[in-house]
Amino acid sequence: MKPKRKKLITTLLVAVAVIAVIAGLYLYAGKEPFIRTTLSGLTLGSLFFMVAAGLSLIFGLMDVLNFAHGALFMLGAYMGWQLYTNPTFIFGMLPTVTAFTCGVLVSPVIKPFLIRWELPEQWQKTLPKIAYVLAIVLLILAFLNFNIMELASTAMVAATTTMVGNPLAEITPQEPLAQFWYRPVLLIISGLLVAFASSKPGVKTEFAPKEDLLKKAVPSILLFALTIIATLFRESAPIAILLMNGNLRFLIAIFVAVAFGFMFGALIEITLIRPLYVRPFFIVLMTLGLSFVIRELVQLLWDPLAYQMVRPPLFAQSGKAASLLEWLQNGNATINISGVTFPTYRLFVILLGFLMFVIVTIIMTKSRLGMIIRAGVQDPQMVEALGINVKRVFTFVFAFGVALATLGGIGAGPFLPIQPLMGDQFQMLGFITVVIGGMGSYVGAFVGAIILGMGRAFGDYFALKLSLSPAVSEASTVIIMVIVLLIKPQGLFGKKE
Amino acid sequence: MKEKIPREDILIVDNIHTFIGQFHILEGVSVRVPKGSITVLLGRNGAGKTTTLKSILGLTPPQEGKVIFEGAEIQGKRAFNVANLGIGYVPEHRAIFRALSVLENLKLAERKKGDFERSADFIFELFPDLKRLSKLPGNHLSGGQQQMLAVARALVPENKLLLIDEPSEGLAPILIQQMMEAIRVLSEKTTILLVEQNFIMASQLAQQFVIIDDGQSVRDGSMTDLVNDTGMIHQYLGASIKTRKELEMEHEAQA
Amino acid sequence: MVNRRDAIKKNKLVSSMKGEGTLLVLLVVLILFPFVMSFITGTGMNEGVTKFWQGQLIIFFIMAVFAMSYDLLMGFGGILSFGHAASFGGGAYTFALLMKHVVPPITHNYRITIGSVNITDAIVLIVVFLVVLLVSILIGLLFAATSIRLKGAYFAMLTLALGSAMHMLVKATDFHKWTGADEGLHGVPVPVWLNPTQNRLTVYFVSLAFLIICYLLMKRMVNSPTGRVIIANRENEDRMRMIGYNPVTYRTIAFVSASIFAGFAGALYSIWNTSATPTMVSAVMTVNALIITILGGMGTLVGAILGAAIMQVISQFFYTWFGARWPLVFGVLFILIVMFLPYGIIGTWRMKKHDLKQFFEQGKRIIAQKKTLNQEEEA
Repeated sequence: MKPKRKKLITTLLVAVAVIAVIAGLYLYAGKEPFIRTTLSGLTLGSLFFMVAAGLSLIFGLMDVLNFAHGALFMLGAYMGWQLYTNPTFIFGMLPTVTAFTCGVLVSPVIKPFLIRWELPEQWQKTLPKIAYVLAIVLLILAFLNFNIMELASTAMVAATTTMVGNPLAEITPQEPLAQFWYRPVLLIISGLLVAFASSKPGVKTEFAPKEDLLKKAVPSILLFALTIIATLFRESAPIAILLMNGNLRFLIAIFVAVAFGFMFGALIEITLIRPLYVRPFFIVLMTLGLSFVIRELVQLLWDPLAYQMVRPPLFAQSGKAASLLEWLQNGNATINISGVTFPTYRLFVILLGFLMFVIVTIIMTKSRLGMIIRAGVQDPQMVEALGINVKRVFTFVFAFGVALATLGGIGAGPFLPIQPLMGDQFQMLGFITVVIGGMGSYVGAFVGAIILGMGRAFGDYFALKLSLSPAVSEASTVIIMVIVLLIKPQGLFGKKE
Repeated sequence: MKEKIPREDILIVDNIHTFIGQFHILEGVSVRVPKGSITVLLGRNGAGKTTTLKSILGLTPPQEGKVIFEGAEIQGKRAFNVANLGIGYVPEHRAIFRALSVLENLKLAERKKGDFERSADFIFELFPDLKRLSKLPGNHLSGGQQQMLAVARALVPENKLLLIDEPSEGLAPILIQQMMEAIRVLSEKTTILLVEQNFIMASQLAQQFVIIDDGQSVRDGSMTDLVNDTGMIHQYLGASIKTRKELEMEHEAQA
Repeated sequence: MVNRRDAIKKNKLVSSMKGEGTLLVLLVVLILFPFVMSFITGTGMNEGVTKFWQGQLIIFFIMAVFAMSYDLLMGFGGILSFGHAASFGGGAYTFALLMKHVVPPITHNYRITIGSVNITDAIVLIVVFLVVLLVSILIGLLFAATSIRLKGAYFAMLTLALGSAMHMLVKATDFHKWTGADEGLHGVPVPVWLNPTQNRLTVYFVSLAFLIICYLLMKRMVNSPTGRVIIANRENEDRMRMIGYNPVTYRTIAFVSASIFAGFAGALYSIWNTSATPTMVSAVMTVNALIITILGGMGTLVGAILGAAIMQVISQFFYTWFGARWPLVFGVLFILIVMFLPYGIIGTWRMKKHDLKQFFEQGKRIIAQKKTLNQEEEA
């Protein structure tokens, strides 16, 4: 009973301290500034949470400090912005990506047959190498003369030329289908070669049952169909998207950013991080290099400029809504919250953050997957010994974490300038959030994010009011972190090792 | 192989070599586990018993040698694939998942949906405590309860072979009795490969033994032979391990 | 017996000389470089191409020392710190601040002479460097202190935060009068003999000497008993604690010494630029050191020097080859190195050297066999 009582007392003390701090701030600042600052803090906290939750889960499960998280956050913003402003680039690239993936995903179907193939040892080593080289040659051939830069520049042009609220840009003419079709075909073949090579033909020690082959073929077949559709509607799809209602388009933009984040995350984990689990130290370097590459790639495609994404109509109409209902009806830009005028879009970000927290909580506590993750944070080897494919769970968690980050990115899109360095600060604060909350705990990430968001918001408030330097609010995060670590070196919700 | 094997071995470990990092931990271990019996791995601390179990399961894959389960080679396969063939593992140090409740710990071990429902009665009959504690998180259990949970977890799916690592480690004598009883009940259903430091427990449970010394399997045979061979016991298992006879004498002397 | 032992000794001496031989040759080349360059191009010592390349090499020397100090932490100590730039920038800012705001009033009002020689400047410069030393030690102690309670990722994160706190401090507008905030400190008054525009050759040799001294000191340190304990701590801290070495003490030694080297490198860098800017304190600087160390090979010291040289060349030529987006190419290269050459150039070379030697010897043997066969056939 003693530890229980101790826990109760500490909980009470913490609750009293928190209430005292809140009451003190309320009394000091007054009602309206207090509410305004709190809401700004929650907006920041929501974004911090979406960055930190992924970082925390990824570190907790795989001991990977993902230094590319900020760059992926930024990439999410760019992807969403692309789709919202002018999706020519996304739809132009889509058939090539789906074609290649369709080929690669054949691997689980052909693997059971390939590994049972009687093959002399020297061919076991050389055949995959030949296949890889051929695949790369085909890849280069497929992208030869493919003007990616021009595709990318469409949204750039759209962003700089269109009027507010009317982001319909000119559709740039693309290659005619008669000229384009060979690219996806080459890419499918290239993907098939990669699938062939990665299945390790002839290697007897590999394991792949011949069961459920049809089920394994489904993703590949679906992608094949998608490739055909994407190739045919390459030019018309962007127009159709741009003619849609702005709100719907924004919804699609969010979906695209999340889907992109999930798939890109999975790709990174499988190709770059998985081979390095034996040398954990190098994963940090790998992600550092990756963030470097992503940032440069974005600057190459869209120039080192800052873009302003147009707010969707639901948050764009001038005028102040008196209530939530009125906002939803008229789509006002600001809303009245007990006497405080607050931008509706930021309210949306707060809702998004809390929604994500609820979703993550449900996944972690109610689903079998969440159970596996919680168990894996403690002992991934034992989870594997129970007959669960832990590596697949690793891939999922990494992809899920990256998807959360890209969601944060597109969420931040409409009220922050979209530029190549926009993720860096979020990554830094995400790390601090995770350290405050405790590595591997999503609840910790949430609480840490709220604390940091509040710290930033009230830091700014006090800096303005007491005419201190703006560095105060920046420094507040580090100060909070140092205080927390001095009291609990494992973070607020971290487990003792 | 044309000659007929007189007994059916469910698991054959043939001269495996395992490295952990740069360290050559196993330098030729061979174990045969006949179907439907208990085989025990004996040896000093650090001799490589736990690594042998992990190598069978694929957690520390052997670089050389063969592991044959039910006639098929399984060395080099990923651990989850090996486990799914029907091998259950009870790790040392009661490695249950502390953040999960007892019920979640058991449910996590399901390989097919409904595994737990089917085996729940058997498990709770074997370990009645667990039913009472099923809502508690793992870190609130006592050492003995954690060990029971670790064993129970391996019983959820239908396993043909159980690898149990030091079930008596750090348990009170009364709990050791209970654990032994449980393992005996289990052995009626499945084959068991046991690692055990407690020689008395091992000698009462197992029919066969394999002694591992310095990463090599040095002796094997039937348990009854070993119990009577004090010389071998002292040579490989250390003087600190006492045979039942010696212990009984000590006990009498103390009384 | 005695003879044999002597022979072994001699062999050892020869082999150790062999190891340093390349470096000695390199040293001679670097010493002669400005003269040869000026002779070939026909430009004067302090003008044109010769002057430009001296500058490039000065940056290389300084970055090499900075990267070596990072290697001391990461490669030998196994400590992943993301705040090492704090030491570098700390040294740079300490030097620049003192030279700009403290030294002029002193030299204006006081004069120290030995006989008729005015040694005020020299004394003041020495004092300034002593203060740099002090600040570097303090920064090293600060980082060491955080490592007492925190391990692994938490520690890495805290160093990142500490480094960024230093960056914030430097950029804070409150101290604009002193630090120049965002723009940094410019036009630091440097003694004429150390002025990189007027006397570049002196700066060149000073930084070359600095590199050599630092390299020898660090090598000595790594091979000393203390250094061995630091390396052993990297492998297994608990074991070292059991043997009776306190890991904290040795980690502190690693931190403080790395911080001192980085601090002096920073001070020299601020002489070379006659400025101190927030970039010198930022995480970019740490990541630069990290990349250089990985490129050359962790835990080798020489690797850091080689890596710094490659970095200098890359940043010079990649721009002309690949245009403004050259870091993209570089980033891809870096990822490939991490994936396929994790021990860097020197590390991989040392590992493969044996194999290569065998390969060549085999080749030689085959050729020799063929020759004898041919001779036999001819005969």
